[in-house]
Amino acid sequence: MFDYVGKRKYFFILSAVLLLIGLVALIVRGGLNLDIQFKGGTQIEIEMENGDFDANRAENLAQEAVGKSGIHAQKSQTLDAQNSNQAISFLVIKSSGKLTDDERNKVLSALRAEFNIKEDAEMIVRDVDPSIGSELLTKSLIAVVLSLVLLVLYIGIRFKMMSGLLAGFTAVLAVLHDVLMMVAVYAVFNIPVNDSFIAAILTILGYSVNDTIVIYDRIRENSKISRKDSIKDLVNKSITQSMSRTINTTVSTLICVITVYAFSVYNGIGSMEEFTFPLIIGLISGTYSTIFIASPLWELLKEKQAKKKASQPAKA
Amino acid sequence: MKLSSGIKSFLVLAIIAAMTAIVLVGLKIPNSDYSIPKAYDGIRYGIDISGGVSAVLTAPDGVKPTDDELETVKEIIDTRLEGKQIYDKTVTVDKVNRRVLVEIPYKKGSEAADPYETIADIGATAMLSFREVDEDKVDPETGAYEMSDKIVLQGKDIESAVAETDPQTQLAVVRLIFSDEGAKKFEEATGRLIGQRIAIYLDDQLVSDPIVNEKISGKDKAVINLGTTDREESIVRAKELAAIIRSGALPFKLEAKDVNHISPIIGENALNISIYAGAVALLLVWLFMLLYYRVPGLVADMALLGQAAAVILILVLTGMTLTLPGIAGMILTVGMSVDANVIIFERIKEEIKSGKTVQAAVDLGFDRAFAAILDGNLTTLITAVILYYFGTGPVRSFAITLGLGVILNFVTAIYGTKIVLKALAEIRALRKPWLFGAKGGTANV
Repeated sequence: MFDYVGKRKYFFILSAVLLLIGLVALIVRGGLNLDIQFKGGTQIEIEMENGDFDANRAENLAQEAVGKSGIHAQKSQTLDAQNSNQAISFLVIKSSGKLTDDERNKVLSALRAEFNIKEDAEMIVRDVDPSIGSELLTKSLIAVVLSLVLLVLYIGIRFKMMSGLLAGFTAVLAVLHDVLMMVAVYAVFNIPVNDSFIAAILTILGYSVNDTIVIYDRIRENSKISRKDSIKDLVNKSITQSMSRTINTTVSTLICVITVYAFSVYNGIGSMEEFTFPLIIGLISGTYSTIFIASPLWELLKEKQAKKKASQPAKA
Repeated sequence: MKLSSGIKSFLVLAIIAAMTAIVLVGLKIPNSDYSIPKAYDGIRYGIDISGGVSAVLTAPDGVKPTDDELETVKEIIDTRLEGKQIYDKTVTVDKVNRRVLVEIPYKKGSEAADPYETIADIGATAMLSFREVDEDKVDPETGAYEMSDKIVLQGKDIESAVAETDPQTQLAVVRLIFSDEGAKKFEEATGRLIGQRIAIYLDDQLVSDPIVNEKISGKDKAVINLGTTDREESIVRAKELAAIIRSGALPFKLEAKDVNHISPIIGENALNISIYAGAVALLLVWLFMLLYYRVPGLVADMALLGQAAAVILILVLTGMTLTLPGIAGMILTVGMSVDANVIIFERIKEEIKSGKTVQAAVDLGFDRAFAAILDGNLTTLITAVILYYFGTGPVRSFAITLGLGVILNFVTAIYGTKIVLKALAEIRALRKPWLFGAKGGTANV
C-alpha cells in the first residue's frame, strides 16, 4: 500500500512550486488577462473570402480608422458544417475600449477598402460596457466564495465523524488548490479570462469536492469498522480502496471533456474551447488534490488537533 | 401485486428506449394534435446557436428601478417587439442585477433587420407628445422646426392606438383614442390653433406635423399620417407606431450594456459539430464502462443513455434555452454521471472479492455506495444552483444541464441500474465474478 500520508510533503511541495510559478507570472503580467466581457470593449468577427490576409495590416488599418491604440486583430477559422472540405476564415478585431456604432462602421469600411471582405460580413459582434464587465467580475467572485462557504457547511454537517468543519476546511483547501492551479495556468500562458472560465471554476468546485467526499466517505465508514487503526493507516487505506473509483471517474469525465475540446479546437468553436480547456486543467488538478492533498492534509490537522487535546488535560 | 424483477427491469429498459426514440425521431400520437418534435428541431436554442442578437438593458446610472417597474418594462418591450413582427423572442427580467435581458433569435428566411437599430428602438422611452410649433424657430441645418416646450398633450392622455387604412389614400394611418382628459385638451388646442401646425413627437423624433383645419371634438378623431406614399411601408410603420403608443412610455431610458450579435451560420456549424462531439464522447464512455465493468457496465451504459435522453426531453418539453456551454454541460455530465455507477460497481467488486456471492454483493454494493453518491451529487448540485443564480445567458444554460444531469443521475444510476442489475444477478449464467469485472487475478489489494 502506498503511503500517501507519509509522502505528503513531496506532493505539498510540488503543488507549492507550481502555484508559486503561477503567482510569479501573475505579478510579472500585472494580473490576469481579462477578456472584454470583464473589462468592457468591442469584439467583431468578420468573415473573409479566404484565409490569405495579413492580420497585422488589419490591426494598423483599424487603429488608424478610429485613432485608438487598444485594437488588436487576429486570424481565426471554423469548418463549414455544410461543406466539410471548406474552412471559413475570420478576422477577429478586439478593441479594449467600447466602439460606438459610428466607429465600428469606420473600422469596417477601412478594412473593406483594402481586404476582400464579403458583403454583410459581420458575423459576430460583442459590445460590452465596462461597468457591466466589472459588475460581472464581482458577481463571479461572490459566486465562487459563496460556493466555498456552502460546501464547507455541507461537509461540516455530513461528516461530523471527521470533526465536520475540519473536514470541510481541508476539502475546500484542496478545491482552492485546483482553482488556483487553473488561475496559474491562465496567468502563465496569458489566456484571456471570460465568464466561461468562471463557469469552469464553479464546475470544478463541485467536481473536486465530490471527488474528495468519496474518500472522506470511505474514511467515515472505515473509522466505524476498525477503531483500532491509527488515523494515518485509516487515511491510507481509504485512499487506496477508493483509488480505482477515483481514476475511473476521472478517466470517463476526461474522455468527454477532451473529446469536446479536440472537436472544438479542430473546428474552431471558440466558446466551447474556452470552456473545456480550463475544465481539463481543473479535472487533472482536482484528481491530484483529491488523492494527494485533501485527505493527507486532513490527517495532518487532525493529528495536531488530537495532540493538542491530549496535552491540554495533562497541563491542567 | 408485486411485479417480478424481470418485468420491472423490462419496464425500465422500455422507458429508456422510448425516451431515446422520442429524442431521435419525435412523437406523434395518432388521432390527436399532441406531438413532440424530434429534439434537434424541438429544442429552443440560445442565440449562440440559432444566431441573432442579445442585449443586456439597464436603467441609466443613478436610476434604481423597482421590481414593478422592471415588469412594466418587460411588458412594454414585449409589445414593441411584437409591433415589429418579432414574436419568437425572450425577454427576461433579472431582478438580482436589476436589468432586462432581451434575446431575439435570427428567423430563417427573413431579412435580418439591423440588430443595433432594433435594440436602440426598444430601449427608447417612447414618450409621445403633441406640441405647438413655433414657425419662427427653425433649425438652420436641417430646416425642421425646433422642438418647442409648449406641450398640448402627452402619452398619458392617450388610451389606445390602432393601425387602419385611410379609405381615400389607401395608406395606413394610426388612429389615436384619447382619454376623456386627452379629448378635452385636444379639442381646446385644435380650436385655438386653427391654421397652425401641431407637431407629434416620439421622444425627440418628429413623427408628423399636420396643419389644424378645424376644431376637433371626440375621443377617436385624431389620426397620424406617416408621411410616406408607399402603401406597404405605411402599413409596417403604422403597426409599429400603434404598438409603441399602445405599450406606453418606458419609466426610464434603457441603455444597452452588453450587445452580442451572432450570425446564424456560425451557430448552426457549432451545433452540428458539438452533436458529433457529444456522440463520440458518449460512445467512448460506453466502451470504457463496458470493457471495464462488463455486465454492470452494460447496465450503466443503458442508464447513461436514459439520463441523456431524459435531460434532452425535459429541455424540449419545457422550452428551456440550450446554448453551447449548455451542450458542453450535457457532455460533461455524461462523464460525471458514470461516477455513481463506478462507485457502486467498485463496491460490488470488493464484496465479491471478499467472498460474497454475486447476488449478495450486488445488494451490499448499492447500500454501501449510497451515502457517497448522495453527498457527491448534492455538492455538485449546490454549485449548479449558485451558477444558475449568478450566471448570465449562456452560462445559465450550462447550470441547467449540469443540475438536471445530476438530479436525473440519481434516479437512473441508483434506481434504474439497481432494478436491472438485480434482475440480471438472478440469472444463473450471469452470476460469474469475472462478468462483474472482478477477475481474481488482477485484484488490486
